[in-house]
This record gives sequence, C-alpha cells and structure tokens, in this order.
Amino acid sequence: MKQLLQACFLLLLISTTLRAQETPAPTARRVNEQATVSGYIKDAANGEGLIGVSVFVKETGAGITTNSYGFYSLTLPAGTYNLVYTYVGFARQTRTVDLTGENVRLNIELQEEGRELQEVTVSTRREDDNVKSMAMSVNTVEMKTIQKMPALLGEVDVVRSIQLLPGVSTVGEGATGFNVRGGNVDQNLVLLDEAPVYNSSHLFGFFSVFNPDAVKDVKLVKGGIPALYGGRISSILDVRMKEGNSKRTTVSGGIGLIFSRLTIEQPLFKDKDGQARGSFIIAGRRSYADVLAKPFLTGDLKGSRFFFYDLTAKANYRINDKNTIYASGYLGRDVFGADFGFNWGNATTSLRWNHVFSDKLFLNTTAFYSNYDYLLDSDLKRENQKDFFNWKSSIINYSVKPDFTLFLKNNTLTFGGQAIIYDFRPGEANAASGGEVRSFGLESKYALESALYIGNEQQLSRRVQLQYGLRYSLYNYLGPGESYEFQTDVPAGKRRFPVSTTTYDRNEVIQTYGNWEPRFSAKYELNEVSSLKVSYNRLAQYLHLVSNTTASTPLDVWTPSTNNIKPQLADQIAGGYFRNFGKTGTEFEASVELYYKWLQNQVDYIDGAELLLNKYLEGDLLNGKGRAYGAEFYLKKNRGDLTGWISYTLAKTERFVDGINNNRWFPTRFDKRHTLNAVALYDLNKRWSFSASFAFATGTPGTFPTNGYLFQGYLIPHNAESSRNNYRIPPYHRIDLSATLQNRKKRPDQKWESNWVFSVYNAYGRKNPFSVFFRQAEEKRTVMLNGEQVQIPVAEAVRYSVFATLIPSATYNFKF
Amino acid sequence: MKNIHICGFSIVHVILFGLLLLGLTSCEDPIDINLKTGPVQLAVDGWLTDQPGPQTIRLMRTAGYFDAAQPPAALGATVIVADEDSVIHEFIDLKGNGTYVWTPKNGETFGKIGKKYLLGIRYEGQEYYAISQMQPVPTVDSLVFREEKLNPVSSETGFLSEFYATDLPGQADYYWIRTYHNGKRLDGTNNIVVSYNGSFNGSADTDGLLFIQPIRWSINPEDLYQMNDSVRVEVLSITPDAFYFFQQLSTQINNGGLFASPPANVPTNIVNRNASGPKAVGFFGVSALSSRTARVEPGTIRPSDD
Repeated sequence: MKQLLQACFLLLLISTTLRAQETPAPTARRVNEQATVSGYIKDAANGEGLIGVSVFVKETGAGITTNSYGFYSLTLPAGTYNLVYTYVGFARQTRTVDLTGENVRLNIELQEEGRELQEVTVSTRREDDNVKSMAMSVNTVEMKTIQKMPALLGEVDVVRSIQLLPGVSTVGEGATGFNVRGGNVDQNLVLLDEAPVYNSSHLFGFFSVFNPDAVKDVKLVKGGIPALYGGRISSILDVRMKEGNSKRTTVSGGIGLIFSRLTIEQPLFKDKDGQARGSFIIAGRRSYADVLAKPFLTGDLKGSRFFFYDLTAKANYRINDKNTIYASGYLGRDVFGADFGFNWGNATTSLRWNHVFSDKLFLNTTAFYSNYDYLLDSDLKRENQKDFFNWKSSIINYSVKPDFTLFLKNNTLTFGGQAIIYDFRPGEANAASGGEVRSFGLESKYALESALYIGNEQQLSRRVQLQYGLRYSLYNYLGPGESYEFQTDVPAGKRRFPVSTTTYDRNEVIQTYGNWEPRFSAKYELNEVSSLKVSYNRLAQYLHLVSNTTASTPLDVWTPSTNNIKPQLADQIAGGYFRNFGKTGTEFEASVELYYKWLQNQVDYIDGAELLLNKYLEGDLLNGKGRAYGAEFYLKKNRGDLTGWISYTLAKTERFVDGINNNRWFPTRFDKRHTLNAVALYDLNKRWSFSASFAFATGTPGTFPTNGYLFQGYLIPHNAESSRNNYRIPPYHRIDLSATLQNRKKRPDQKWESNWVFSVYNAYGRKNPFSVFFRQAEEKRTVMLNGEQVQIPVAEAVRYSVFATLIPSATYNFKF
Repeated sequence: MKNIHICGFSIVHVILFGLLLLGLTSCEDPIDINLKTGPVQLAVDGWLTDQPGPQTIRLMRTAGYFDAAQPPAALGATVIVADEDSVIHEFIDLKGNGTYVWTPKNGETFGKIGKKYLLGIRYEGQEYYAISQMQPVPTVDSLVFREEKLNPVSSETGFLSEFYATDLPGQADYYWIRTYHNGKRLDGTNNIVVSYNGSFNGSADTDGLLFIQPIRWSINPEDLYQMNDSVRVEVLSITPDAFYFFQQLSTQINNGGLFASPPANVPTNIVNRNASGPKAVGFFGVSALSSRTARVEPGTIRPSDD
C-alpha cells in the first residue's frame, strides 16, 4: 500500500510539474497567446467514431491522431490554420480554423471515398502511419481487410487473421489463442471494449469469439506497450466494437457453413433535425449444425446438444457535447452434451463514460465485469440419482479504470489507474457413488490488482518524438483462504508436498507484490519517408493460465499469483527501421524490427502434474525463465487493385526450468525458426474480388523417444537423455483462396446489398502435422519366441493433422 | 488424444463428440521417422502378488524405440526379493530368457499384507534395488451384466459388465484393476485402470465409498461382452508411487492429438546403489489381489436401466 501511495504521489508530482511548465506565470501570459481546436471525428455514413484519424496543420506541420473514441485536441499559437483530416479509405477534408479568439470545437464527419476510388485498406489508418507514428511493433488490421481474407469454413475470424502478422504464431492450427514474440497464450491481454476476454475461442480454438459484424477495429500491440496498458506481459489485442449506425437503421447478416449471423444497428433519440443522440448495435451468431442434425438424432442421442453462440451488444448516448456514455456487453457459450453436459463461455459488460473536461482534458472511465466459466456434468437429466459427477469453475472480475488524456502543446499526457477485483473459483464439484453424495472442490481465491500510470508523448523536435511512461502495479492476494508452505528439499522437477498451512480471514493480505513498469519509445525521422524507432518496456502479470497440454483446453483454470507463484515479468527491447515508398509516397510500406525479450517466473509443470481440482497445485508447479528474440520483416502494398502484405519472421523462443531438460535451455512448443506469411487481395472489377493467403512455418519441436522397453506387455517410449523438445516435426505450409461476388443492384439507390464469398482452406490439401507422437499400434503382432507364440506390440510414429484435407465453403452475406 | 479423467468423467468422449463437426477433417497416419538410439539401460518388469503359483520378474535391456517390442533379455543377473524380516526369495532364470522365477513350496504363497519388500538385482557389475509394500485390498462383491447398445447410434447390443467393490475406509488406498476376457487379459493401451479410494484421482473425497460408476464400468472392452463369455476382474492393492507410475504410463502411451501432455519419461522405482552408475527403468511392485469371475448368463444378467 505504501508503494501505491508513493506512486500516487509521484504521479501527482509529474502532472503538476508538467502543468507548471505549460502554464507560465500569469503576468507573463498574454491573453489568447494560444488556443485549442478539438472535437470528435466520425464516419459520415454511420456516425461511428473514427480511431486514429490524422489531423495535420498545413502551416506548421504539427499533427495528432484521434484517440479510441474519435476525439482529438490540438493546441496552437494564436492564428488561422488549415487543418487537414486524413484517413485511409475516406475523402480528405481541409478546414480553415480561426484560433485568434476562443478555443474552437470542430466535429468532423468524413465521407468514405466512392466505390470506384475505394481502396482496400490494409492495416494502416493514417496513410503515413508506418513512418510518422510513434508506435512500433503495432499491427492494426482493418475489418474490411479481415473480411476479404480467405477464412476457414468461410467464417471471418479476427484471431486467425492476426496469426498472419509478423511475430505471431500458434502451437498449431485449431489451437486456442496465439503466441506473440515467444509469449504464452495466457500472456495476451485480449480486450473487447476494454473488458478482458479469458477464452477467445469457440469449439476449442477453431473460431474466435468475436463476431466480425460487430467489430470496428483490431489492434495488436507486440512491443513498446504504452503505460496505459498492463496486466499481461506479451501483447495487447485491443478489439473495439462498432457503436451502431447513428444515421439510419441497418440490418446485416449472413449464412455460412458454421454460423448464421444477424446484426441490427439503429439510431437512438433522434431530435428534430434528424440528428441522433445515440445508437445501438446488437449482433448475434449461432452455429446451426445441431438444428440440421436434429431429425437424425434418435434414441439415446435425442436431446443431444452441440452448438455455440455469441451475442454482442452496444449502445451509446451523447448526453451533451461534453459527455457520452457507452454500454457494451458480450455473451458467448459453447454447449455440448446429451446425457453428459459440457459447456463454457465468457460474459463481459463494460460501461464507459467519455467526459471532455475542457478542450484539452479528456477522460474516459470504464467499469467492467468479466466472467469465464465452465460446467461439466456426467448426467444432465439426473436419470441416475445414485451415481453422478458435476463440476463448475469460473473466474470473475470487476474493474474500474479512469484514463485521462491531457493535450498540451508538444505533449500528450495520459494518466490514470485501474483496480481489478478477482474472484477465482477453481472448482466446485459433487460426486455420488452408490447413492452417497460427496461435495468437494476448492475454495475461492481472491485478489486485488491495482495500478497507476502516467505517460507522455512528446514532440522534441520536428524529427524526434518520444513516448515514455511509468506504471506501478500493486497486487494483493487476499483472504479468506489458506496459504501453504511446501517442502524445499525436493529435487528439482519433483512434486513438493505441503508442510504447513496458514488460514487467513476475509480481506486479510496473504501476499503482496508490487512492480514498477517503465515504458519508453523513441522515433527519429530520417526524412519524410523513413524513420528509426526504438522501445523498451517492462510488464508484470499476476494471473496464470494453468495449462500443460499442447493446445490449451476450455477446462484450463486461471490461477492468481500466491505466496508460491510469483508474478510473471517481461522486459523487451525492440528497434526498427520503417520506410514508405511508391506512388504518392505511401503505396508501399516496409519495416524491419528486431526484438529481444526476457521472461521471468514462467509457470511450468512437473511430469504428471495434477492441475485440476488439486488443492496443492502449487506443489506441482515449477518456476522457469524464458528468452525470445527475432527479426520481423514486413512489406505491405496499400494502394491499387492489388493490395496485401508479406511478412517474414526469424525467431527463437526458449525456456529454462530447473528439473526439465537436464537444466538446459529448450525450445518452447511454439518455437518456429522461420515464419513466412503472404496475403494478397485483388479487385478485378466492381463485382469480383479475390484473395489468397500463404503460410509457411518451420515445424514445431516435439519430444521424441530414443529408446523403448516393455512393461506388462506395454511398449513404453523412453528418452535416455531426458531431453525436452529434441526433434522438430515437418514444416507447415498452406494456401487459402477466396472469391467474393458482389450481387448486382437492381436500382442504383437500392438499399439491399449482398454478396457471396467462396473460399477454399488448405487449397492443396496438405496433411500439415499438428504433432508427431509415438504409440503402440492397436493391432499386435504374433511372433515365435523360444518356441512359443507370443503377441508383441508394434511401435509406430504417428502424424496428427487437424485439417488434413482441403475445406471448401460458401457464405452469403446481406445488408440493408 | 489424452484420456483425461476428472473424477470419473472422461472428457475425451465429450470432446470427441464436440469434434464430430470437424472430426471428418482431422487424421492420424503412421509415418517413417529416423530416431537416434540412446544408451542401453536395464528394464525391470516385476509385479508380484499374493496369489498361488510361481512369481516372475522379467529383466530386459532397452532398445531403439522401433525395436523395443522384442527387447534383448538381460541375462546372468542375480535376483532376490527380501521381506523386512530378511526372508529371502530367490528368482532364477530357468529358461535362460531373462524371465526370473520364484517357485513356491506346496501351499506357500508370496507376501503378507502390511509388509515391505526389497528387490535386489546384481547385473553387469551394478547393484539395483527397489522397495514396495503389500497393501490391503477390498473384496470384489459381485460382477454383473446388463444388455446395452454398443454405442448410442448402434443397433447391436452387448453385455456391459459392472463390478461392485467398496473402498477400504479410513486411509488412502490405491488400486490397479485388471480384466480378463475368456482368459485373455484386456491389454489395450486404454485398459490401464488405476483408482484412488475407488475414484480416479486424488482430488475427490471418496474414501470408504462404493467404487464410482466409471471405475465399476472400466472393465469392458470396446464392443462389450457376448453371451457365455467369461469375465474375470482383479483388484490389486498398490502403493502411491505405483499409482503415479501407472498414471504416467497411461498418459504417455495414449498421448496424441490437440490436448497432448508434454512427453516425459515414465517414472521408475528401480535405483542403482551407485548413484553415478547407469540408471534402470521399469517398476517393481507387490500387491494383494482379490478377484471375481463370472460368466454372462441369465443368472448374472440384471435388467438394463432403460
């Protein structure tokens, strides 16, 4: 607590110092020496706030971009200026603004460029963002692009799309989540309108939980992470939902092989001039294979349920010029079962309040609730009252998060804080045998994570821009509950048994951790078309996903840091060269980035760790460290009929854990030396467009046996060196293709728009290995041994492929 | 796919069901791979019970993985098992094939409940040992059959076997359950069944309860039993480290698919007296055994639940 107070104090100090700098003594100040222009920038077609629009002052070269809510503020010396508003895919607007008098409020609506001129935009918003923006190690993918990329079973998927970006990998296709620059799947902060999503997958990992029809913007931050963000150590996947059309009611939807989708957007509270003060969007998806299968399910399978759905909704209301509120929610679930049942899902709700204190000070306050839970039941119908088993588990959190932005002359100051209350319920279980019911399971665990941060983006000179900040995070592991001390004299890599237990009362602090997390980035513009950027960041993470399987499963349990589990820490340095070239200067953009990352307190597991419903789980966990380094090359074509990108990543990701691999570094399960991805989108004419993507990656490592032996007739693989990940499975490569046919409009003013999307996943049907494993074949072999006939097992190496064939699909989409 | 059992609930079935949608696309096919062979070690396969008849301990040498189904025998070893009262049982390689046998005198059986046993092996100048203990075992009270469909979509039926036994109350008990179908042991990789207090693993509090249903049903082959089949179920008491050994064994030989565990060596309780000498693999255990044999016939068939 003391440290938090210190951090508070520091924050105050910094902000007052900066304010003092900005505000010279009153005597020295002439009236209206400078003035501020500020406002919201929206899409003229639907009233959506536009994120990252460039506002550029023609006369001085100064500029800024809009924040996540479409707000901007620029302070300039008194004078008259021409402001240029640019955003890729939208017509440029120039406004003359008189800043000799009062501060000016200037809300802008940008028109999308005409269909003929419209370019498929790939990932940048500001045309020269690549070079001019402060950010490095950031990839944004426009929803328009994601929607045009070939998709598995035709289902447009945010998470699958970002896997084609440099620095992003997975343990294999079909696996939940993604790995960024050598980080684990639990090290990505996946935010949906600022609320964290704990499991981003439907159906174990085949589809992500984000409904593409409701998503407005996707941003992946892999490095140089600003002080605003914290809580996970590898990346931030910031998914922003649409606000809903505030101009007119629209309905859109589609029918694909897996999901049927429907989205409704509507303006709210229209005034006399037809201006809406708010809007909402509600979007739903549901798989429908079970509906089609229903007539065929008879007998014991009657009543079988297997489906997944999600519902996304958001509403906003502009109270007045200074206040806007947003409410958004997500509810998704996967349900499987007949007699037995298994279901899991996320629910999030966030409430946000945007308040403009003045032309310079902007506040967004978010309050959110997030829940992930699952339920297993051996007998849903309770036909057998005597023998059953059920189990549920959840992680719930509540948070408040005020974020201030102060727009000053050459500085944009951000500061704020966050408090998150965690309620972990690792497992409540009931089992009955022969009519006797026993309840067991684990007690809830509680924690409070709080943070304060301050960051500044500073234009030092025309060429040099800095972004620096500091975040202090404080974590309390709280009672009621028990803490355990474990044996210390156990050889590394073996189970440690508890030696003592301490009981704590409600809100009593069991363990406290605090971390200073410095962040820094710098940009030096070599010239108009190229820049150099460097960054350093430290991040701390207090939650851990306990998962020891190749792909994480929906059953994996999140666990807090405790007196035995230390918070994960990551330090990353990155540097890069960024350059734009080609027609209009920004036809192509290219970058080369190098990174090195050190990871501490990585959770690993003893062999045979008991991870579920284990009170003494901590005794089965190991503490390791990691290192990841690599180079990412990226070339993107932004303009023309043909657009797309090529990315190549050369990387190495290793881990060191006492007691594993003879105490030597070993490659992680998702370590891939070479990753090459290419995406091409081509507009043939107004009706047809095509896209293709190619993915190549070095095979992931696997642990292969060196020897074998028999025990009670079973053939047991054995690694005489006790090594981990000593071989590599064959490389992975795949091409996906897709074609979109825009249906003709009968009249030019027809509202109804529709298209067909045809796609082929894994076009040449390669049996890409997910893993290679070793087993004894089901059939045994009979041999003569010492004159006796004996059956012996047959050893085989097996390649397991998730999608071993090409997968065609067709999707129909509509909008009116 | 790893057979994750959570307190009697096999997730595999659920997951397989869920993957029906995409199951058609995934595939497992054998491939050729060259593996480097590591140094050869002594492999011990020794499980002794309190049943009448000779007891055997098999000694082998590890081989390259693809040759390991026919491992070379470890010959010329001296093998003894001593109890805590220093009664020594000598195991002799009668046929010269690495199978070391102790033959009891008339009416004599091996082992007493509660006693510890030490295995001693002298082989190629190294001395290895292992310790086990004979734990108590509950009786198998009954073994019955019910007519059921082979699977929910099948029209064929078979007889599902269920045995009843009650966990010994008041202590942590570990069991290994073996099944014989017409005299032949069910020896598929998914037929390794071990139980803690009549449940699957250490998290459930099932002390003193009737063995839970999935354990009672764990003695069935995939296509169930047919009329007049003979079924024998054996419950063997085992030590906690043997339970852990079998769990690891089961995990490691059923370890493919999306949710595989990291491959790791199955643990061993065989120790070389010379800590820097070559290590051995395998396991030595002693068990008290209770069993029941029944034939599928009207007298053992119970009405099915539906």
